[in-house]
Amino acid sequence: MRSVSESASHNQTVTDTRPTRRSRFARGLRLGLPIFLGYMPVGMAFGVIATSIGFSIAQAGICSATALAGAGQFIALGVLKAGEGVIAVLVATTVVNLRYVLFGATLSPHVRGMHLPAQALLAFTLTDETFAVNMNDRRQGLSTGASMAGVGAIAWSGWVGGTVVGAATAAWIGDPRAWGVDFAMAAMFTALLVAMAETRRHLLIGAVAGATVLALPELARLDVRIGSSWFVVIAAVAAATLGVLAFDE
Amino acid sequence: MNDAVIWTVIAGMAILNFAVRFVPIAVVSRVNLPGPVLRWLSYIPVSVMGALVASEVLRPGGQIDISPANPSLLAAVLTAFVYRFTRSFLGATVAGMATFVFLRSVLGM
Repeated sequence: MRSVSESASHNQTVTDTRPTRRSRFARGLRLGLPIFLGYMPVGMAFGVIATSIGFSIAQAGICSATALAGAGQFIALGVLKAGEGVIAVLVATTVVNLRYVLFGATLSPHVRGMHLPAQALLAFTLTDETFAVNMNDRRQGLSTGASMAGVGAIAWSGWVGGTVVGAATAAWIGDPRAWGVDFAMAAMFTALLVAMAETRRHLLIGAVAGATVLALPELARLDVRIGSSWFVVIAAVAAATLGVLAFDE
Repeated sequence: MNDAVIWTVIAGMAILNFAVRFVPIAVVSRVNLPGPVLRWLSYIPVSVMGALVASEVLRPGGQIDISPANPSLLAAVLTAFVYRFTRSFLGATVAGMATFVFLRSVLGM
């Protein structure tokens, strides 16, 4: 279609050369490819651990496909394994994912015109990595609903695919940490932090958040594993608030 | 593990994880936010990443470790440099993971 219009006339309008919805979706898939590659091994680790505490392959896959909750899913397995009840498991996973309230609020100004079902789809695929990639893309003015859907689709595929492969091959995989899985998330976060800390102001705010998250458990003498997701939320809120107060415009 | 418990956990997680992500988007995108709130929200991504990186890299396993003996820290520094100079998210992530595995399994850190 494009080639027809290109050959048809020289004075075509600007809109003819703009990317189509499909090309934007494909662009999202490309942007999300690193997420796919990062999620595969971590998803496999989830599959291995889930089957080790009694999940079937189908249950592990459905859990990943419907929750798409990374750390939240690992915490749920930990609490389940410790013999706690359903309520304790659900409270733990929800607390770990409270930062998505912030992410959702942050995305909101960028998805104002979007219909509710499209927002629901975007919310469903909202993770640390999809959020960071979309916001980064957004800053460059390139992100659209279709590209966000592409990022979400490929992230979801990596997470669910990894889980099913891991659950199905758990017996042969052994300890997933042997291939650097426990650093995959940290590596993704680090690259995204560098991408986001472009101005001195943002770098400073990120550093304040990092220092705060390290200081919080020392101050409160709390268990790091239980409290760490609260710490991330508290530190982020504190650093962003300081940023608004310090850099008044 | 009881099958009914597992299915209940799966269903509960699906609902709750969707709710914490969807409700803020659905509500906040339908109100007009004042300037300072928008500015506050614009600082949230870098704040969350700063906090996550500090947690994962400087406090691996629950203990603060800011020393050259911390393989997460060395791998993260390399990841940051690779991203800074290549602007490749994928390259940086893979380089970081490979460095981490190398430091831990070959050098025994």
